[in-house]
Amino acid sequence: MDETAELAAFRAEVRDFALAHCPPEIRAVVAANGKLGRKQWAPWQRILHAHGWGAPSWPKEYGGTGWDQRRRHIFDEVLAECDCPPQYHHGLRHLGPVLIAFGTEEQKARFLPGILSGEDWWCQGYSEPGAGSDLASLKTRAVREGEEYVVTGQKLWTSHAHESDRMYTLVRTNAEVKRQEGITLLLIPLNSPGICVREVRTIDGWHHVNEVFLDGVRVPVANRIGEENKGWTYGKFLLDRERLGGANVAPAFRFLDRCRELVARELAGPADALKRGQLEYRLLLAEAELRGARELGKAAVDAVTAGEPLGLMPSELKLSTADTVQRIGAIALDAVGERVASRFRPVDASGPNAAVEDIEWVQNFMYLRAKTIFGGSNEVQKNVVAKQLFGN
Amino acid sequence: MPFDPRPMLPGDAYDAARRFAEASAATLAPLHEPAARAAELATQWAALLELGWPGMLVPEAQGGAGGTLLDLAALAEGAGSVALALPLAACCGVAPTLLAGQDALLAELAAGRLQPCVALAGGITLEAGRLSGRALGVETPPRPSHALLAVEDALYLLDLGTPGAAFTRHERIDGRLTLDLDLQGASAQLLAAEAGTSVARACDLGALLSCVEAVAAMGTLIRQTIDYLLQRQQFGTALASFQALRHRVAEMYVAWRNLTGLVQAALREPGWENIAFAKLRLGEAGRFVAEQAIQVHGGMGMTEELPATRLARRILMAEFEWGDRHVHAARLLAAA
Repeated sequence: MDETAELAAFRAEVRDFALAHCPPEIRAVVAANGKLGRKQWAPWQRILHAHGWGAPSWPKEYGGTGWDQRRRHIFDEVLAECDCPPQYHHGLRHLGPVLIAFGTEEQKARFLPGILSGEDWWCQGYSEPGAGSDLASLKTRAVREGEEYVVTGQKLWTSHAHESDRMYTLVRTNAEVKRQEGITLLLIPLNSPGICVREVRTIDGWHHVNEVFLDGVRVPVANRIGEENKGWTYGKFLLDRERLGGANVAPAFRFLDRCRELVARELAGPADALKRGQLEYRLLLAEAELRGARELGKAAVDAVTAGEPLGLMPSELKLSTADTVQRIGAIALDAVGERVASRFRPVDASGPNAAVEDIEWVQNFMYLRAKTIFGGSNEVQKNVVAKQLFGN
Repeated sequence: MPFDPRPMLPGDAYDAARRFAEASAATLAPLHEPAARAAELATQWAALLELGWPGMLVPEAQGGAGGTLLDLAALAEGAGSVALALPLAACCGVAPTLLAGQDALLAELAAGRLQPCVALAGGITLEAGRLSGRALGVETPPRPSHALLAVEDALYLLDLGTPGAAFTRHERIDGRLTLDLDLQGASAQLLAAEAGTSVARACDLGALLSCVEAVAAMGTLIRQTIDYLLQRQQFGTALASFQALRHRVAEMYVAWRNLTGLVQAALREPGWENIAFAKLRLGEAGRFVAEQAIQVHGGMGMTEELPATRLARRILMAEFEWGDRHVHAARLLAAA
């Protein structure tokens, strides 16, 4: 078989597996635009791992699939097309590759199997109250005492900390040097004494981010990745591995499909004709932009496959999709907002949101505001693009 | 090194077309009277005929070059990067596509003896075997000999010298020539009675080539905007140091890259749907880039002689060729 036929066969194989083995109740959450948690992700990861597909981005010797970039991209696309959850990224895509590249043999043996099987759940302790887009200004302090670090400080926007076992954490070990040169990467069990996780109530009504307070938390030196004060390098390595993340536009296309169905369903009456026409037109504009972004994504995957530099492609992808997905969320809000935004929370019962049909669209509209904020805000991305375009 | 756009279809054809368009723009620049420009365009069109561009898609058996869509698109990209004011898509792409199978006419076209304008947007009716009505703003070669006319489902070839046919010429906002065709019982040659499909296909080719030209013009326009912001000093510093302007340029760049992706997909698989999405996006992205380029050039952006203004007006005009964004949106919605 030539490469094209092989990739087509691979795509079909992934699709057949996903449809046959991803539990319907998990796919239903994705299909309803619900917020995913460990409850959906962990069993799905177990299923993928049992099939040998636990870690598409890891080398074979560590239990990965050894797939090339094209196959990994196809795998991600097909999962989205089938309403399967994307794989939980913090362990598999972020920490795993860092452990493989910089961890000791002991660390690899201790941490990789749990990530692969989905038994261990990781979160990322990067942002702080004073260090968001400007991460290098982080202040959480780690002081060496014998074979331990004593960690004190506060992390913020820590996604999934409330359902995680461990947090890979950037801490300051030297405040005297250039900001980037005094940072260390530690792996911290969240059941350590001195840790307090508190929910941040977000505008979407979902619980997904937290504050994590660290008060004299003792972390064995054996939990340090690589060298002291080299954490920025490892953290950047990790983010660079994620630079292709935006290449998968398939989830955005599914979101568009679902929004289109919503508009047709919600605005079926003759009195809604003008609004329906306008929203359908806006959906087409969004689709055009997503199609453009999909081509940029393909080009980025090809560049990585050919070993060429990505240049501005990650920023282009982010700027080409984040706004667009927000716009799709806004179309849905325009379709149902009057009916649903008015009934966001029940007064006479507990719970974050009402059992109102289509409430997820309002929640998603709110949640999607974060798209242009996290992972390098759009403003930071535009700085990156402009610096390259203007040559300074 | 400031930004320099990379062509989608680099090579000899791109380079040659770009050089031709650069020379054309330099010669036209000092000419302010439309009549003087039209005369100069006629000279340039004659040179373009010598280069054989209208025969690019014509089979070798009919004296053409037997080229592919990509060969022609490379010319369009090179010419578009300098906003060449000659009807490349209409005369080198759409016309030969409409004449496919008409070997004698194709040979005339390749030889430069048949120089048709192409009016496919309606306005002409058939009564008792003769054509009447008006077609307005039809892009044309400087000295058109004929008009290819879509009348309902049929395709006609009209000799512009025939009794009952009259036309007046205009210059578009991008400096290209158009004519208003006024027919009163003119006779014309029926080329095909059921031409709907081939007319639609030819229109799509035109739309795709317009997109290619516009993408090329946008790349140059972004480069010129960056150059201007780097050298223009205000408030004691280069405009390029202001974040508001830097971000605007970053947005222009991303819009351009996104459109480029769609156009590359349409070049690879030139089905009508891919072309319609590209043309739809051109309406949004092209308008944005053109408007913002004028804005950040400040007062200079309002002047006609600025090369960036010429590019901006070419991009604005490209939207209205072969169906604007609403026409293509309507097609896509109808097919959904």
